[in-house]
Amino acid sequence: MALKISSEFRKEISKLGEGFSINYCYQCGTCSGGCPALRYTKVYNPRRIMENVLLGFKEDTLKDPVLWLCTMCHACLEACPQGVKVSEILIILRNLATQIGSYPEHLNAEVSALLDYGLINPGSGAIQRRRQQLGLPEVPRPKVDNIKKVADETGFIKLTGYKPKEE
Amino acid sequence: MADYALFLGCNIPNRLPHLELAARKVLPKMDINLIDIPEFGCCPEPIGIQELSRDAWMAMAAINLCLAEEKGLDIITLCNGCFETLRTVNTELKNDGHHKEKVNKVLSKIGKEYKGTQNVKHVLEVLYNDIGVEKIKANVQKELKGIKIAVHYGCHVLRPSAILKTDDPFQPKSLDELVNALGAESIPYLRKMLCCGTGIEGIDKENQLWMVHDKLVQVERMKADCMTMLCPLCYIQYEMGQLQLKKEPYKAQFKVPIMYYPELLGLALGMDPSELGFKLHRVKVDPVLQKIQ
Ligand code: SF4
Ligand code: SF4
Repeated sequence: MALKISSEFRKEISKLGEGFSINYCYQCGTCSGGCPALRYTKVYNPRRIMENVLLGFKEDTLKDPVLWLCTMCHACLEACPQGVKVSEILIILRNLATQIGSYPEHLNAEVSALLDYGLINPGSGAIQRRRQQLGLPEVPRPKVDNIKKVADETGFIKLTGYKPKEE
Repeated sequence: MADYALFLGCNIPNRLPHLELAARKVLPKMDINLIDIPEFGCCPEPIGIQELSRDAWMAMAAINLCLAEEKGLDIITLCNGCFETLRTVNTELKNDGHHKEKVNKVLSKIGKEYKGTQNVKHVLEVLYNDIGVEKIKANVQKELKGIKIAVHYGCHVLRPSAILKTDDPFQPKSLDELVNALGAESIPYLRKMLCCGTGIEGIDKENQLWMVHDKLVQVERMKADCMTMLCPLCYIQYEMGQLQLKKEPYKAQFKVPIMYYPELLGLALGMDPSELGFKLHRVKVDPVLQKIQ
């Protein structure tokens, strides 16, 4: 499929959160210069992602798993001479990618733990014993029903396809 | 005594209880009173849940903020991730009526309302801004003389600086000064501001470990006795990372003890090492303890 240049995607992003700042991007590459994800993965490049959004390549941007290689260190957001909120825009892009089901598999386990236990790391019996030996109180017991209700109300359960664990 | 609601998050209580032990035993010695709210849940985590849905992340974080409001307490966090989530959401809800209205509509389903009456602080801010370097110095019983320490801040206590407002986003000095206050020496090293890479651990473990590797190389090169930090996720990367880096393709033999800052503070305040959970460190800290004796 040939890529068609359009301003539609840029306009869509501009309406969301800190998205408007993308209009000030002049493609200098300062964000990429200090980006640890680019340095180590070689394939991830925030300047290029901003460029693809400006050119309107929506599908390609959102479906590319490379989008999830950013570590969220926020160095780009601090460094951009144009005040583009690069990492905030990346969060917007990832939210949109999630809506079309394009997000890393391992996050499903995180969602399940969060909604089953209220903690993404619920801990084990061994940890409980160790805590007792150290004289520490029992681990927090969040009200899972409240978290689930709030998650449901914001559409998060439908979004992630979460299914409660079998008792 | 300043009262704080202790926000433990997921990783400290369930993976690194020795960090919790250090916080609970040492912080009260500096007049920080930690109060448990057992209903606190996951913050939720800012580099996974926020990426899926920022709206859901904000609303779930607001539950925790409400719990602290109900007790009339400010929150203290021991983790950069918890801090970023709770500080960001608290700031946005306080300043943006539209967000607040949206979140409160959701919270009404569980009989809660966010009001915006409390603050969220990282333990680094409490130690540096509220207690202060001078008071810590005055309380040191046993100077950590001759101990060279490589300080690691972790990204999410510093950036985005416009919201977090803790220190300079690229040239921070608070934790260095807190280390020097103990009589130890914070040493300069290359890659000091390199991220631990937790955010891509689930997707690209191999390159994430190279990030850990490259920082440890610089720490060893400067002959640091240990690293110190205030984030459990960074802690896990640098400690467990040393075990993982022994294998292919890295084949690296690092032996850099990783100390949680409250542990160092405890030792300097004169606590006996047996009172803290040093046995649970996966990279032995004995060389540091021997040097302090
Ligand atoms: S630093 Fe800012 S202006 Fe430069 S390429 Fe990156 S986002 Fe665009
Ligand atoms: S937040 Fe992501 S894109 Fe920005 S510098 Fe860090 S790793 Fe790179």
